[in-house]
Amino acid sequence: MKGWIGNILRVNLTNKTYKKETFTEEFAKKWVGGRGFAVKILYDELKPGIDPLGPENKLVVALGPISGIPAPNTGKCIVAAKSPLTGFYGDGNLGTKVSDQLRKAGYDAMIVEGKAEKPTMLYIEDDKVEFLSAQEMWGKGTYFSNDWIYAKYGKNVGVLNIGQGGENMVRYAVVRSLEGRAGGRPGIGAVMGSKLLKAIVVKGTKTIPQADPAAMKAAGYGDLKTVHEMDKKSGWSIQSTNGVLAWCNEVAALPVENCRKTSSPDAWKIDGERLNDARIATYGCPSCTMKCGITIHDKEGHESELDYENVGLLGSNLNVFELKQVGSLNYLCDEYGLDTMSAGCTLSFYADAIARGATKGDFKFGDAERGKELLGMCARREGQVGNLLAEGSLRMAKEFGHNSEAYAMQVKGLDIAAYNCKFIPGQALAFGVGPMGAHHKEAWIITFELKNSTRDSYGADKAAKVIELQRIRGGMFEFMVACRFPWIELGWKLDNYPRYFNLATGLNWTLDDMWKVADRAYSMIKLHYIREFPNATRKGDYPPAVWFDPANADKEGPIAGKHLDIDKYDRLLQHYYDQRGYDKRGIPTKETLGKLGLSDEAAAAEKYAKLS
Amino acid sequence: MKVTVKLIGPLIYAAGFSEKEITLPNSATARDLFPRIKLDKKRPSIITRNGNAIGPADTLEDGDRVVVSPLYSGG
Repeated sequence: MKGWIGNILRVNLTNKTYKKETFTEEFAKKWVGGRGFAVKILYDELKPGIDPLGPENKLVVALGPISGIPAPNTGKCIVAAKSPLTGFYGDGNLGTKVSDQLRKAGYDAMIVEGKAEKPTMLYIEDDKVEFLSAQEMWGKGTYFSNDWIYAKYGKNVGVLNIGQGGENMVRYAVVRSLEGRAGGRPGIGAVMGSKLLKAIVVKGTKTIPQADPAAMKAAGYGDLKTVHEMDKKSGWSIQSTNGVLAWCNEVAALPVENCRKTSSPDAWKIDGERLNDARIATYGCPSCTMKCGITIHDKEGHESELDYENVGLLGSNLNVFELKQVGSLNYLCDEYGLDTMSAGCTLSFYADAIARGATKGDFKFGDAERGKELLGMCARREGQVGNLLAEGSLRMAKEFGHNSEAYAMQVKGLDIAAYNCKFIPGQALAFGVGPMGAHHKEAWIITFELKNSTRDSYGADKAAKVIELQRIRGGMFEFMVACRFPWIELGWKLDNYPRYFNLATGLNWTLDDMWKVADRAYSMIKLHYIREFPNATRKGDYPPAVWFDPANADKEGPIAGKHLDIDKYDRLLQHYYDQRGYDKRGIPTKETLGKLGLSDEAAAAEKYAKLS
Repeated sequence: MKVTVKLIGPLIYAAGFSEKEITLPNSATARDLFPRIKLDKKRPSIITRNGNAIGPADTLEDGDRVVVSPLYSGG
């Protein structure tokens, strides 16, 4: 077997034991890596109904067959577990040196189970695993922890760590790496915290097996240069993702005041031009030559790394239009290890709920100073308000009542990315059918949708495009474990990914082979979902109700008076189900599962839920 | 006629402006703007007029706000 090492490291924190396990070539070809590995391992090893913040939950760190080689934008890893935010499978990816160090240590993935007795740091060096005290880092933020680890081991180690948010099990705490990178929006950092696992540090010295190392090296270094030149020519990284903000403001898609509004005359104050002007440095992931991380000095003078989702959800959606203050809110999320997007949506929801009288409080849109205090209270779970915010917008809405769930901007408990879909049905569908909830990495069609179709269309073509993009974004990029940016932003061809896969493995796959694995991974996430929620209905695939509400329609601008039509949305959803081979609840049928080679997994699901 | 042109992201730096009013002959199309903004026609882009997408061949009108953006895959 080439490309894959064939080993998984299993670590038990309760017993302080570890062992190397092997997997077969059949397993490798069926699931490839990253999300594919994680979704299968967690399905087989977790019993439905377990407490995601209990010792029964498991953390999976997974890489792909091209991780650790110098191919463009492959310096990422997947972190996954049962989500404390959504109650079923959740994952995320983040840029980290773990991508190559864990593979060089001799593993394609690791599983962490049990719970440590005291705050612990795992140190992995090739075949050795040490269970070290993390007491000096416990209670400290991610910047402190990262520096502490670098001081001890140098900067050439892979690091995954959590902040106070993870320690205190904020349901949307993330895993952090490289000081500016974060992943695991569905609370994977909280799962680490629940295990008293402060950090994982990895160092590897072995060679990663590849079918054609010479060809891989030539291709990889050549393409790193190619991508860099394409980026320079296009100018994309001048603003990186932050160009999206001005565009969303122009097409009535910007989240403003918890998505009450779709644009703001103040948006220019926090747009990509202003960010570029304020830039103090640029950062990227390993194996990246189109770096996207622009840092600025925040209000307090910290270096804060911003991208569009941060600025959209901690800025415009909170009605904060001072870039330095957005930087401050973002810095605190990073320091505490909170998901910036969920934190933005949760604070915005809280301000909205107070304004609408669903609850009492002292937080208003635009109050960045109070926002900063609230983030600290949330990360520390301080007092009633801190504990409430730590639960996330959906649980808060259920607590508040007064129909506030309608404007909790989430799907299945996971908060939306920074696209306000008052009148963008395809993007609303992408959020609705995001298998883990409204995750930005897979829920996206908006620019294709607005470019190629009319805004009020709910046709089958939009469902088909959502599926096509899911297969690419939530499928191939997540099981190969690579960043998507060279593809759309620079026009680097998708064919490059099976090309690298083949160079690594010696196989002869095409994109069609990739789509089969993608569909398999998506169906597995749906099986996770239905066995946890056997009474789930298609309503779980609806976007936030406020987008259907005529009273919420814009009063002026390009979509004045417009809103999503609930009956048409439901028909669009049915198009999606029909094309996917899902039943009326949005669950893959047994026939679909059989075609994907998932009959055994279907039989396992039927112990808990009925399949069609 | 006069239209306001707003550019997004990297297009600003290629054209040398972010937003400005441009005078065009009557019945000009969106495509007529391309030389004025140095748009790389090989790269996919999206053009909107007053917030809704149009094609390169669509005729512009006096007072339009035209936004040209590269395609983004998000943040």
